[in-house]
Amino acid sequence: MRRVALFLALVLTLVAPVPAAAQGAVPAYPTKPIRFVVPFPPGGPLDITARAIGQKLTEAWGQPVVVDNRPGAGGSLGAELVAKAPADGYTLLMGAVSTHAINPHLYARVGYDPFRDFVPVALVAEVPNVLVVNPALPVNSVAELVALARAKPGYLNFGSGSTGSTGHLAGELFKSLAGVDMVHIPYKGAAPAMQDLLGGQVQLMFDNLASAAPQVKAGKLRALAVTTAQRSPAMPDLPTVNEAGVKGFDLSTWFGVFVPAGTPPEIVAKLNAGIVAALESKELRERLAAMGAEPRAGNTPAAFAAFVRAENAKYARVVKESGAKVD
Amino acid sequence: MDLLGNLALGFGVALQGINLLYAFFGVLLGTLIGVLPGIGPVATIAMLLPVTFTLPPVSALIMLAGIYYGAQYGGSTTAILVNLPGESSSVVTTLDGYQMARQGRAGPALGIAAIGSFIAGTFATFLIALAAPPLADVALKFGPAEYFSLMVLGLIAATVLAHGSLIKAIAMVVLGLLLGLVGTDVNSGVARFNFAIPELSDGIGFVTVAMGMFGIAEIVANLDTAEKREVFTAKLTHLLPTAKDFKDSAGAITRGTLLGSALGILPGGGALLASFAAYTLEKKAAKDASRFGKGDIRGVAGPESANNAGAQTSFIPLLTLGIPSNAVMALMIGAMMIQGIAPGPQVMTEKPDLFWGMIASMWVGNLMLVILNLPMIGLWIKLLTVPYRLLYPAILLFCCIGVYSVNNSTFDIFLMVGFAVLGYVCVKLACEPAPLILGFILGPMMEENLRRALLLSRGNPMTFLEKPISATLLAIAALLLLVVVAPAVRQKREEAFQE
Repeated sequence: MRRVALFLALVLTLVAPVPAAAQGAVPAYPTKPIRFVVPFPPGGPLDITARAIGQKLTEAWGQPVVVDNRPGAGGSLGAELVAKAPADGYTLLMGAVSTHAINPHLYARVGYDPFRDFVPVALVAEVPNVLVVNPALPVNSVAELVALARAKPGYLNFGSGSTGSTGHLAGELFKSLAGVDMVHIPYKGAAPAMQDLLGGQVQLMFDNLASAAPQVKAGKLRALAVTTAQRSPAMPDLPTVNEAGVKGFDLSTWFGVFVPAGTPPEIVAKLNAGIVAALESKELRERLAAMGAEPRAGNTPAAFAAFVRAENAKYARVVKESGAKVD
Repeated sequence: MDLLGNLALGFGVALQGINLLYAFFGVLLGTLIGVLPGIGPVATIAMLLPVTFTLPPVSALIMLAGIYYGAQYGGSTTAILVNLPGESSSVVTTLDGYQMARQGRAGPALGIAAIGSFIAGTFATFLIALAAPPLADVALKFGPAEYFSLMVLGLIAATVLAHGSLIKAIAMVVLGLLLGLVGTDVNSGVARFNFAIPELSDGIGFVTVAMGMFGIAEIVANLDTAEKREVFTAKLTHLLPTAKDFKDSAGAITRGTLLGSALGILPGGGALLASFAAYTLEKKAAKDASRFGKGDIRGVAGPESANNAGAQTSFIPLLTLGIPSNAVMALMIGAMMIQGIAPGPQVMTEKPDLFWGMIASMWVGNLMLVILNLPMIGLWIKLLTVPYRLLYPAILLFCCIGVYSVNNSTFDIFLMVGFAVLGYVCVKLACEPAPLILGFILGPMMEENLRRALLLSRGNPMTFLEKPISATLLAIAALLLLVVVAPAVRQKREEAFQE
C-alpha cells in the first residue's frame, strides 16, 4: 500500500504542470488532513464521487482527505462555508451546477459570490438529464409530446426534485423553447417525484440519467431524449432534445472542485493534477459510468473557470424566464 | 414463481461464511449506534461507504442493511431505559416502555421489544419474498391525494396517544405542526419562519427536536425532582418477560406486525406511521386501556413489532422499484450504484443472487439480533445502576454528538438546547411531547401532499373524495374522530354535573 502511494506520488510530481515544478521553493503540501466539503447529504452521485476522489488523493498524498457533508439551502450552506474558509488548500468544495450557476440567480440571498470567492480547480463530471414519460402517455417522440402539449395546453404535469433544480429548469426551458404550456409539480427530492411518475400522477420528468436508465430498461418509463448537446454514451440510440426539434436545448447536471479565492496557484495546480489523475484511473471511470456520469478529465483550472462562467450566464437567463424564485 | 427455489438461492448466498460475517458485523454495529442516542444509521453508513467499494456487492449491501435494522433494535433500548428515542419510530415506545423501566420492568420491556421485533421481522421478510412486486404496485397507487388522507388519519390518531388531557394533546399536535412549517416551502420556494437564518432554510431536523424534547428535558426534569433511584432497580427480579407478559402481548405483536407490514410499503413516513398507528390500535382495541401510558406491555409490544415490520417492508420500494423510502435507503442506492448495479425494477431478474440473498440475510440478521440482544438485556439494565452524576453527562455528550452528526452543524446543537427548554416547560405543564413529534413530522408532509394534490387536480378539492383509497381513509378518519371526541364530550358533561 505504502509503495503504491509512493509510486503514485512520484507519478503525480512528474505530471504536475511545469510552472508549479519550476518555482522550486514551494511549501510542502499537503502536510495535514484535507477537508472535502460536499454541500449535499450523503449518497448521491456527487457525494460518492467525492468520496472516491478523496480516497484516491489520500492514497496518492499520504494525507487523509475527509468528506464533510454540509447540506442545506440547495448546496448554498456548504459553498458559503468554503468561501469563508482559509485559502490554504486544506478546504475543498465539491461544487455543482446548483451552487455556482443556479443558486445565485434563484435565491434572494446567497452568502457567497460564485466568482469572487472561489478558484475553480477541475470539472469532475457531467450527468445528462433524460426526458422520460410514463408509458401510459401516448407519445413516442419529442415531436409527439409537443403536439400533445399544444393540443391540450396545461394538461401535462412535469415533476421535479425541487424548485430551481435542473429537472425543473429543464422543463421551463422546454416550455419556452417549444412554446407549450405544462404545469410544474415540485417534490422534496427526485425519489418521490420518480415514484409519482411511475404511478402516473405526473406524466413526464427531466430526470438524471443514472436513476432514469434502469426504469427505461425495465419498460416502466419511456425515454424520449437526452438534454445535453451531444448524445450520451450510456444511451447512444436516444436523440438529444435539440436533434428532436427543440432547438437550442442544452442542459446537464455537472459537478467540480473549487477552493477559496486566494489559494496559492501551485496548490491549485497540484490539486488539479491529483484530481485529473484520479479521474483517469480505470476504477473511477467505471464508477462514474455506472452512475451515468461522464468524467471530464484532462481539463485545466482555466478551462473550468470559463465553463462555469458560461453556465452561470446560461442559467441567469433560464432562471429569469422560468420565474422561479426562492427566498 | 419458484418461491422455494428462490429462497434456497437466497439462503445459499446469505449463509456463506463471509456474508454471515458481514451480516453480524452490520447488526452489531447497528445495535451499538442505535443505543447511542442520536447517532443514527445515516451518518454511520455514510462513513462506511468507501469501505464498501472493495467488498463484493452482496456482502456490502447485507452489511448496510444489517446496520439499518440493527439500529431499529438498538433505538428502542434507549427509548425504554432513558426515555430517549434514537429513531423517530421509537418515539411511541417511550410512552409505556420508559414507565415500565421506572417500575423495575425494563427487562420484560426490552425482551418483548426484541421478541416482537423478531416475529415481525420474520413475517415481513417472508411477505417480501412472497409478494414484493404486487405490493410495490400498491405503493404506486398512493398519489398525493391518498397520502394527504393518510396523514389526516395519522394526525387524528395522534390525539389518542395522550393519556392525559385531550385539549393538551391537540395543543401539542398544533405546536408540532407550526414547528414543522419552518423552512423553505416545497411548492412556492418561500422561506417561512426562518428569520433569515440560512441553517433554518431546510427546516428543523427530527433528531434535534427529539433529543431536546425527550432526552435533555427529561434529564433536567429528573434533576429537578431529585427522584429516588431505587424505583429503577429495586424489583429487578425478572430479566425476561413472564408467561403473563407473553399472553398479554401476543395479540399486540400480531396486530403490530400486520399494520407495520402494510404501512411500511409506502415510501415517505410509512414505517414511522406504523408505530404510531399500532399504539393507537392497541389502546383502542384493549378492553381496559387505563394502564396505557403507565407501563402497559402492549404499548411496547405493538409499536415495536410494527416499526420493525415496517423497517423490513420499506425495502420493497427499494428492491422492486429502485425508489428509496428514506435517507438510509438513499445511501443504499448509492452503495448499489457504486458497485455498478443500477437500482431499479430489474435487480430482481438480473441479480437474483443479490435480491434473494438480501432478503434471506434480513431473516438471518433478525435472528442474530434476537440472540445478540436477549443476553445483552442484563448488561443494558446495569446501565441504570450507573449513578446519575455519571450517566447524565454521558447522555448529554452523546446527544450533542448525535445532533451534530446529522448535518455536521453546531447550530443544531444550540437549537437542541432551545428545545430542551421547551421540553422542560412541557414537563412542568404536563404536556406530552409525543403528539408534538407526530404533528411535527406529519404536518409538513400533509401540507405538501395537500397542495400537490390540488395542483394536480387544478384546484378541485373533490379529488380527495373521488379517489377511492383517499375517500376510504378520510371516512376512517371521520369515524376515529367520533370515537375520540364522543367519550371526551361525555366526560366533560359528567364533570360539569359533578361540580
